[in-house]
Amino acid sequence: MPAEAAQNVEALAAQAQRLMATFMRAGYEQIAPAIIQPAGLFLDVVGEALRARTYVFSDPDGEELCLRPDLTVPTCRLHLARHPTGNARARYCYSGPAFRYQPGGATSAHPSEFRQAGIESFAAGDREEDDAAVLALIVEALEEAGIRQFRLRLGDLGLFAALLDALAMPQRWRRRLRHHFWRPEAFRAELARLTSREALKVNGLPHALVDALDPARPQEAQRLVEAHLEAAGLELVGSRTLPEITDRLLAEAADAREEPLAATTAALIEGYTGLKSPAREAADRIEVLIRPHKLDLGAPLAAFRRRLELVEAAGVDTTQATFAAEFGRNLEYYTGFVFEIVARELGPSSPLAGGGRYDSLLADVGAPARVPAVGSSIHTERLLSVLSAEAP
Amino acid sequence: MTDRLVLALPSKGRLMEQCANMLARAGLVVAKSGSARGYQGDIAELPGVEVNFVSSAEIAQLLKSGKAHLGITGEDLLRETIADCDTRITFLRRCGFGQADVVVAVPAAWIDVRRMSDLEEMAMGFQRVHGRRMRVATKYMNLTRRFFAQQGVAGYRIVESLGATEGAPAALLAELIVDITTTGATLHANGLRVLEDGVILKSQASLVSSNAAPWTEELRRWEREVAKRLAV
Repeated sequence: MPAEAAQNVEALAAQAQRLMATFMRAGYEQIAPAIIQPAGLFLDVVGEALRARTYVFSDPDGEELCLRPDLTVPTCRLHLARHPTGNARARYCYSGPAFRYQPGGATSAHPSEFRQAGIESFAAGDREEDDAAVLALIVEALEEAGIRQFRLRLGDLGLFAALLDALAMPQRWRRRLRHHFWRPEAFRAELARLTSREALKVNGLPHALVDALDPARPQEAQRLVEAHLEAAGLELVGSRTLPEITDRLLAEAADAREEPLAATTAALIEGYTGLKSPAREAADRIEVLIRPHKLDLGAPLAAFRRRLELVEAAGVDTTQATFAAEFGRNLEYYTGFVFEIVARELGPSSPLAGGGRYDSLLADVGAPARVPAVGSSIHTERLLSVLSAEAP
Repeated sequence: MTDRLVLALPSKGRLMEQCANMLARAGLVVAKSGSARGYQGDIAELPGVEVNFVSSAEIAQLLKSGKAHLGITGEDLLRETIADCDTRITFLRRCGFGQADVVVAVPAAWIDVRRMSDLEEMAMGFQRVHGRRMRVATKYMNLTRRFFAQQGVAGYRIVESLGATEGAPAALLAELIVDITTTGATLHANGLRVLEDGVILKSQASLVSSNAAPWTEELRRWEREVAKRLAV
């Protein structure tokens, strides 16, 4: 090992020790989840996009395994092993390697093997309070490590869900828009489709079948679809069943009969997703945006304001913090508050730390119901590089 | 390594025969040399060229690493094996044989899934009902990932399949497939149908040049010579 690399390893170890000391002092229990994880579970919860960056391999038994691409899912698994319902209050901290293939080649800001130091907090009663506590502790750890200047970027996926809930549209349209939120292009395409009577029409199926499908009578619809398949000589192949196919056809038929989304509604949704502002002004801006639509977002906006106040009260300066409605991290499992801490030296494509709320992940990993969860991790190599650059 | 231009050609199968025909039409004869198994060859008319016979998949690897200067193989294998294909290799010429499409195919009975956008919608419902993501069987893992990402389809998992991919849905190993097809007959026989916008790549055998290979002016002259001779 070159001397320089060895020095780096020592510096990283010392730095990790300081970060962990801060976390443990705040009451977080130190854990060391397994580095090798079952691939199936990871790839199911994080999606194919991260799978493309996950090192997957088989053991001699043929079991598909992976090197953990982050420590959040392993922490969830460890928590569930201790508390099968997941719904026991717990706060964990960890420090250790994670592995991600870097398609453009690994660089110092985007290494394929890096160390995360982070915290996860499960089953807290007060979500906003816990969001604020996690963010404040990460900021504290960074400041204690020696970071003087950083920018805070905030988002809130819960606000977006609340906006959709407040707007009049079928539940399945909300589900689709929420689902596509992660992919701006697909999101815009879906929004355009929902506003166009022409695009909502069912194409590529016999009109007679489409017209005969009545969402109020699913049993009959199933018989009609079955008869259609038989007449066309189409045999059901694979695991997907007739009721599943019928369900989607019924949804399509219902869409075709639905009044398209009003242009003003689509404009509001686009206006919201495009919103960028200082974090302290965000709630006011959103109120201005929704006022002509007479929507009630009182509760989620109050939660947003309260969280920001709690963050401020915990000693984090939010005057420079920015809010972006479409900021939601690239991992699909976030469900609410999200944040990133960016150093000027590295820029927004290489944040020092990131985190957020992921209330459905424990259920996805095996808990019987949703469990409140929020966490954050620090990219320790980036932290060290910023600190070494700052050092005189 | 020799100081000659290394031309990698398929060592077996239909692609090998078609390459041999193309060379013959150009009036070039490959005389096998080297080991008794004949994995190397010379072309009398092109003394600066050394022919290496390797498997089609290996040709892509050799071009990627620059161990071969030129090669002829299927575009599907090139694009699958070489992530940033358009910067690492240069397409000199489509050969006009080995045509095949890489397609997304679903059970024909899925009359509710006709386009890629239906697929993502279907995936959401599938996960709710089955408690897991839909699986795509394929040997084209990279092409699949790239295409699905472009199309905004994310709710799936890839199951690697190294043969008889078209049987995967019936065998309950996957819900749908990404595979190569020429006439579509095999897909049809297995109760599958290509999505309307599900053609990922219209592939054919191609003569390509490696950007990573150790090129000299002399070797570039031989490259032009090969390309010119084969342009018939």
